[in-house]
Amino acid sequence: MAKILLVEDNEMNRDMLSRRLQRKGYEVAMAVDGRQGVEMAKSGGYDLVLMDMSLPEIDGWEATRQLRAVPETRGLPIIGLTAHAMAGDREQALKAGCNDYDTKPVELPRLLAKIEALLSRPK
Amino acid sequence: MTPEQLAELRHDLRTPLNHIIGYSEMLLEDSADPRLEETLDAAREALGLINAILGVPGAGTSDVARLYDALRVPRGRIVAAITALLPSADEGRDGTVTADLRKILGAAERLVPSDRRVSATAPPSQPRRESVESPELSGAPRARILVVDDGADNREVLRRRLERSGHAVEMAEHGRRALELLTTAPFDLVLLDVLMPELDGFAVLEAIKGNPALRDIPVIMISALDEMPSIVRCIERGAEDYLPKPFDPVLLRARINASLEKKRFRDQEVEYLREVGRVIEAATAVEAGTYRQGALGPVAQRADELGRLARVFDSMVVRMKAREERLRDQVRDLREDIEEARRTSKEFAIAVDGGNLRTGERLGQRFEILAVLGRGGMGTVYRARDLDLEEEVAVKTLRPEFVRDATLLERFKDEIRLARRLSDQHIVRTHDFGESGGVYFLTMEYVEGITVREVIDTRGRLGVSSTLAIGAQLAHSLAVAHEHGVIHRDIKPQNLLLDAAGILKVMDFGVARLAERTTSVTEAGLAVGTPAYMPPEQLMAEAVDARSDLYAAGVVLYECLTGRTPFEAPSVMVLVKKLLTEAPPSPAEFNPEVPPALAALVLRLLAKEPDDRIQTARELEQQLESLG
Repeated sequence: MAKILLVEDNEMNRDMLSRRLQRKGYEVAMAVDGRQGVEMAKSGGYDLVLMDMSLPEIDGWEATRQLRAVPETRGLPIIGLTAHAMAGDREQALKAGCNDYDTKPVELPRLLAKIEALLSRPK
Repeated sequence: MTPEQLAELRHDLRTPLNHIIGYSEMLLEDSADPRLEETLDAAREALGLINAILGVPGAGTSDVARLYDALRVPRGRIVAAITALLPSADEGRDGTVTADLRKILGAAERLVPSDRRVSATAPPSQPRRESVESPELSGAPRARILVVDDGADNREVLRRRLERSGHAVEMAEHGRRALELLTTAPFDLVLLDVLMPELDGFAVLEAIKGNPALRDIPVIMISALDEMPSIVRCIERGAEDYLPKPFDPVLLRARINASLEKKRFRDQEVEYLREVGRVIEAATAVEAGTYRQGALGPVAQRADELGRLARVFDSMVVRMKAREERLRDQVRDLREDIEEARRTSKEFAIAVDGGNLRTGERLGQRFEILAVLGRGGMGTVYRARDLDLEEEVAVKTLRPEFVRDATLLERFKDEIRLARRLSDQHIVRTHDFGESGGVYFLTMEYVEGITVREVIDTRGRLGVSSTLAIGAQLAHSLAVAHEHGVIHRDIKPQNLLLDAAGILKVMDFGVARLAERTTSVTEAGLAVGTPAYMPPEQLMAEAVDARSDLYAAGVVLYECLTGRTPFEAPSVMVLVKKLLTEAPPSPAEFNPEVPPALAALVLRLLAKEPDDRIQTARELEQQLESLG
């Protein structure tokens, strides 16, 4: 079973998205800010990270950059999420090192497709 | 509006929609209810409106106002659909669906922007209001409330609601900021989000409850997760209440008001206890002799019982001090009498003949006889050294005829056992009862002083002031003894010792029990001397009680004031007859200085019937003090 790390500061988003992913059969761990997200990701054991971009302490862009900077998490798939939907968000996320990007509100089938695509790609 | 402002606004509006859509979709997976479809549809419509109106570059405040108006329609649809779903939501289930529906309702509420965000750019004459809630007019108490939440939306919602209720609101976006704010200004209430990054709600709660300065501020925990374990955790750590998000506005207000009300009571209680503390401090000051009249000023002004207590306390202390001063004056007079008596009392010491024990002799391997102190009807009193304890004691040997009756001896031992328990400044302590080589003896505290007998005999009579000093101290010692169930039975000037400082000590508590058999009229107290101090009931060998000691105290006072006992007679038989039948002359007849109130008091003590006397030693003490 794939294990997903959800880094999200909004409590309701965390609750909702984690439950929906669990229903789809994923194991979900949660971090409430960028710093915790980086720490947890580095400790290993995750197959994919769902990273909210606007986070307190360390934002998602910076957290992604930090994860890309060390060998143990360099290859970890990261999907960036943002509610801003500003033009350029996607480019910025990819530039920071995200493998993919999605907007909130999350369209679950679309997000699931992205998750599956990343999980099934050759390591 | 700047593009950044627009982006932020868009984000703030999309977040609740994100929640609405997410939860609705999830619920739809379990149950294809048309009302959930309706909710989803309305949410998507709202999303479309946001994109259409705010997605245009250069959108301004009028566009924002237009968007809010437009959003009311889908928002109303969502609220209506979910409200319709709520009553039947959890049939046969555990409440999770209801909780999720409430989350959707909460998100729908957040769809409406705060007043502040609008008023920054829009004319102030058009403040935005949420339609579900009407503004409160008055009645709600005003308070300073700290809202701690990492979610800007939540903070805003709470701020708006609380400000409309008339409260002053401060906000903190994380735990550290909250603790900073709490230490800089006083708050009446904290609303604390449970799940926050870094320092979470539990940690902040612990920090608040662990700080004596903050401990009493009520904390209401808020959380989107309606989970029992986290509620329990909060309550265990001292949270006042726990509110699940989204808030029901009525419930929120009720809980906040209840918490504030409790806080107010607690504050009052704390203030009350602080003032009680002041009264206790004052009591300590009284003991230390540093109490100043009026020191309880602010407490004494309270209208309640505590204020009354403070006022009574203050006036009692003032009276007590005045009394102490009077007593001091009386004792000063008494000391002059004592000094005068001592100058001439040498003759008495010489006049006392030796007992059966000689100086240097040892009693029971323990007591070395030093000198004869006096000789009475029951035996001889010696000054002796306790060789075990290395201190001087008084030893009283008992004449053999008093200890022959075994029953009487047992009764006597009981009495001594009781008397040993008495511990008072005005009572000579009884140590032990022993027997050695057929000699029965009592050991007692040794008091260096002279007896009231000697003072009266050398001075002729004493002044009113000295008499009151003796009387009050005697009454005090009797009160202590009587309250312990010990009756003296033989109060007379010979048994009252005065030390150089004027402190009176009563000796021989319990001892007279031994002589009881011989104090009836038939043997007429020949063994124990004159019956002049005995009340009729004792002379008649009737029941003796505390009031018998009060009669004797009356005779002592009489003698102090006049230099004579109430009845004088050529023989014991005549004396006894007078004691039983005649009313005593007023002491004022023999000493014109005796004030009428004091003369009346003495005569009341000398009443033939115990019921006609002053009834307790405590009352006598008070009356004597009031005469000073």
